[in-house]
Amino acid sequence: MSYILQTNHLTKTIGGKVLVKDVNLHIKKGEIYGFLGPNGAGKTTVMKLITNLWKPTAGTVELFGKTLTPQSYEVLKRMGSIIEFPTFYEHMTGYENLKLHAEYMGCYQHGSIENALELLHLADAGEAPVKNYSLGMKERLGIARAVLTRPELLILDEPTNGLDPAGMKQIRDLLKTLCSEYEITIMISTHILSEIESIADTIGVIHRGRLQKEISMEEIQEMSFAYIELSVEHPRHAAYVLSDKLGLRNFKLTGEGQIRIYDSQVSIQEVSRTLALEHVEVTALGKRSETLEDYFLKITEEVE
Amino acid sequence: MLKLIKLEWKKNRIGKYMRNAVLLALFLCVFVFALAFLGIANDPESGVPDAALETGMLFSSIEMLTSISFLVFTGVMLSSFIVGAYQNKTMNLMFSYPMKRQKILISQMLAVWIFNFGALVVTKLMIYGCVLVGSCFMTAAFPIDFDMVSVEFYVQVLVKSGMVVTMEFIALFVGLKMKSSKAVIVFSFLLIVLTQANVGDFTLRDQVVFPVVLMGVSLVFAFLSVMGVEKRDLM
Repeated sequence: MSYILQTNHLTKTIGGKVLVKDVNLHIKKGEIYGFLGPNGAGKTTVMKLITNLWKPTAGTVELFGKTLTPQSYEVLKRMGSIIEFPTFYEHMTGYENLKLHAEYMGCYQHGSIENALELLHLADAGEAPVKNYSLGMKERLGIARAVLTRPELLILDEPTNGLDPAGMKQIRDLLKTLCSEYEITIMISTHILSEIESIADTIGVIHRGRLQKEISMEEIQEMSFAYIELSVEHPRHAAYVLSDKLGLRNFKLTGEGQIRIYDSQVSIQEVSRTLALEHVEVTALGKRSETLEDYFLKITEEVE
Repeated sequence: MLKLIKLEWKKNRIGKYMRNAVLLALFLCVFVFALAFLGIANDPESGVPDAALETGMLFSSIEMLTSISFLVFTGVMLSSFIVGAYQNKTMNLMFSYPMKRQKILISQMLAVWIFNFGALVVTKLMIYGCVLVGSCFMTAAFPIDFDMVSVEFYVQVLVKSGMVVTMEFIALFVGLKMKSSKAVIVFSFLLIVLTQANVGDFTLRDQVVFPVVLMGVSLVFAFLSVMGVEKRDLM
């Protein structure tokens, strides 16, 4: 399969400190890729490497089928990005900032600035100096600038920072539209899963500089997050029974005498009956469901 | 390149600098005129000029005053146009544009150089013109040692102005290395001391070889400022 963006063993070390190591991302054309990870996981580092602001210590970035080099300028024309936070010429108006951007990008189309401002609900504020904008307005103006030249690939580093819930929803809807109607591929980083789970096609989880998992939402939906949770007096004995008598492998002790059984083959009645027959005292037993958030938390916890 | 230079002027509000340069030129004009004709440099008792114009000649005094002023002016602009752009992260945006980073930096340096060179030449010509006009009606306290109809005069004005503005690239290099706008300004003052001050009777101001060497050094530093920028991480 060909990817619009791919990294191969991408590694960045600064002053002996490894920021990211062996990151292998695969982003398909036309998808929204959610890049998920806690603060300091290496999301921004990877995005700086992708946008050529930083150069990799090892590994490569492939954009539009070509390996990125320090001399790769043309690919930048096909990309829009916000890294860390959007910066502007604060004394200039929102409109002037966008116009300046269009001139530097060498693609000025009549009406495109007005459209971009309209798209981000900034038409009324377009004539005001950016220094008077709120944080949320600056974020929106940053997105307006990034989409102004209709790039094929959009790299957005935590673009919903400083936005209220309504603003976040607006951005999510906009990204969906850009992806579906204009076929723009979007890579969006965040540390909050709920921000992207409704729009992402694929999610990459990064933690401590390493890509832990890359999984499509389709695969996630096929996975079962239901489990049986039981509390027992003697967890070791109970674990032995589950393993030996019921032949279960996919369960874990979660502390304080609690056991979670992820195996979907076994029913709650069967567990109850077997434990009773083996004289295991069960104090609580029930069926629970894990959220997607728990799932990703588990992935990052496994590294701890 | 011309388009890039124009965009640099536009986004850095060149109008503001133009207004300040005009004010500076007017101030220098009035100051030199008062020095030459209104006797502000004269000793009140003897009536003889005792200003720190040790050469007693107007040409070198005007050159010195304008050079000092524009060394600082150029330093301020370089720190704002380039070092400031690194500090307020607008350089991140600039380096995301599809063009060579060297080209961006050179356009920024040229935007400052061209403006200051032009402003310095115009300021000098304004001052020389004022003195010349004044001398038609009043008696100057200092001998007028320049000839505005000779080609040599204009060559000197142009070359000296070019050297003064170019010299500031040394301060820019220091500012970029130290990632500090203040360092550019401080180093500009050091350059003033180095090139314009005198120790006893000794000064490097009127040396012939020194400015040429300094010009060469300045160009080397300008080159060093843009060298390797393509492969460097933008921190």
